[in-house]
Amino acid sequence: MSAPNVRVLYIDDEENNLQAFKASFRRQYEIYTAISAAEGLKVLQNISVQVILADQKMPGTTGVEFFKSITDTYPDPIRILLTGYTDIEALADAINHGDIYRYITKPWNDLELHNSIKNAYDAYRAKIDLRNKVAELEKTNDELNRFIYSISHELRAPLVSAMGIVNLVKMEGLYNSSGEYWSLIESCSNKLDYYIQKTLQYYKNNKTVSENSLVDFQQLIPGLIELYTYSDKETTFTVNINQKENFYGDVFRIEVILGNLISNAIKYQKENETDKKVNINVEVRREFVEISITDNGMGILNEHLEKIFTQFFKSKVNQGSGLGLFIVKEALNKINGKIAVSSEPAEGTTFKITIPNVK
Amino acid sequence: MSNSPKTVLLIDDNVVDLKINSKIIQLSNLFDEIVACQSGEEGLNYLHKALNHGDKLPDLILLDIQMPDMDGFEFLEIYKTLPKRLMEVCQIAMLSSTLDFGDIKKAEASLYVIKLLRKPLLIKELEGLL
Repeated sequence: MSAPNVRVLYIDDEENNLQAFKASFRRQYEIYTAISAAEGLKVLQNISVQVILADQKMPGTTGVEFFKSITDTYPDPIRILLTGYTDIEALADAINHGDIYRYITKPWNDLELHNSIKNAYDAYRAKIDLRNKVAELEKTNDELNRFIYSISHELRAPLVSAMGIVNLVKMEGLYNSSGEYWSLIESCSNKLDYYIQKTLQYYKNNKTVSENSLVDFQQLIPGLIELYTYSDKETTFTVNINQKENFYGDVFRIEVILGNLISNAIKYQKENETDKKVNINVEVRREFVEISITDNGMGILNEHLEKIFTQFFKSKVNQGSGLGLFIVKEALNKINGKIAVSSEPAEGTTFKITIPNVK
Repeated sequence: MSNSPKTVLLIDDNVVDLKINSKIIQLSNLFDEIVACQSGEEGLNYLHKALNHGDKLPDLILLDIQMPDMDGFEFLEIYKTLPKRLMEVCQIAMLSSTLDFGDIKKAEASLYVIKLLRKPLLIKELEGLL
């Protein structure tokens, strides 16, 4: 009934015990015996056993001492200590230093010992399986990291070259020379680039552990505005920051959240609006920061308000990816933040977020 | 300084980008001479030659980050050891398509880099540096 290839090493200075053990269990396990710790070590050097039983009282060295001596060299086998009498000191030592799985008194009961060995073997399997899984996961994780790095470099670099060529075409006045082909290439490239950026953000938000540091909103907000108005400077920003308290938070995620909201506020303006405006208010308090971002853009339909934070939700009128606000929500979840939205179609939208100050 | 002819040194392993950016800078009329190098090493050779022969030193270096053999940051390590008179006239901006958080922070932290520009290069960003 047991797996025949469970290898058990039993070390005892009494030959009779070794014989009795063999007689009882040789049909269930592959048994190796040793008359001393030194002999036992020799077996370990040659055979990979899964369970070791050792007698506590042996001349020269005790069972616990033996187990202690092999913790670094043979960490994997599961250890069972056998002892002829209840020795409190040995018991304490076994628990504290020997990394011992079971403590069994002699004379042993065959069934009890058999069950212990069986359980020990299961523990051994679980230990090895876990280690293999961890190694596998680490490998997958490494590959994923490399993949993400290659997305941010190798995959994006040629796309950005193509975008550079389109710019050059514009500068040379050739943009309208082939009907709308150049503008189509441009919008395709921009869309692809946007997806690459969102994919990276989503991945990093999911993976990276929160790292809190001092956040200076006076510096952060203008920096983000500059970044997102890089290629479109038509929108006027009014920024009002009230920060008297030190604020500690996850700068990476706060940048992702505000960046997406600012970029949306710019992107979803009314096409023929001549006075495109975005107001940003930041109020830093001891316990949290409140940030509101208000635009006078196209607004969001009432029936859409509940869905805008779901992945890949897109309304018919806009050209979004359905990722931006989903990422905002995911990032806020990671740092225990909250978001609320109110909107009036054709009037504008206000997003209010609250992020705890973690100090 | 505004009257003397201006030189920009481009360092980028990507030949296509080198071509595009040279052309953009040429159309911008911001520089009189454009020197294009395909590696950090080639860039350093150019600087050494200019320093030794008393030639015109570049006013600006546009440095890519991701390059084989010697990347932008390794280039900066060697650049630091060059004669001071080069640094007195020459500024460095990094020019990259990177979205890697580490790369961006490293470029921003570097003492020798005045700005990290994103590809594709835009003339108004270049003007902002001068």
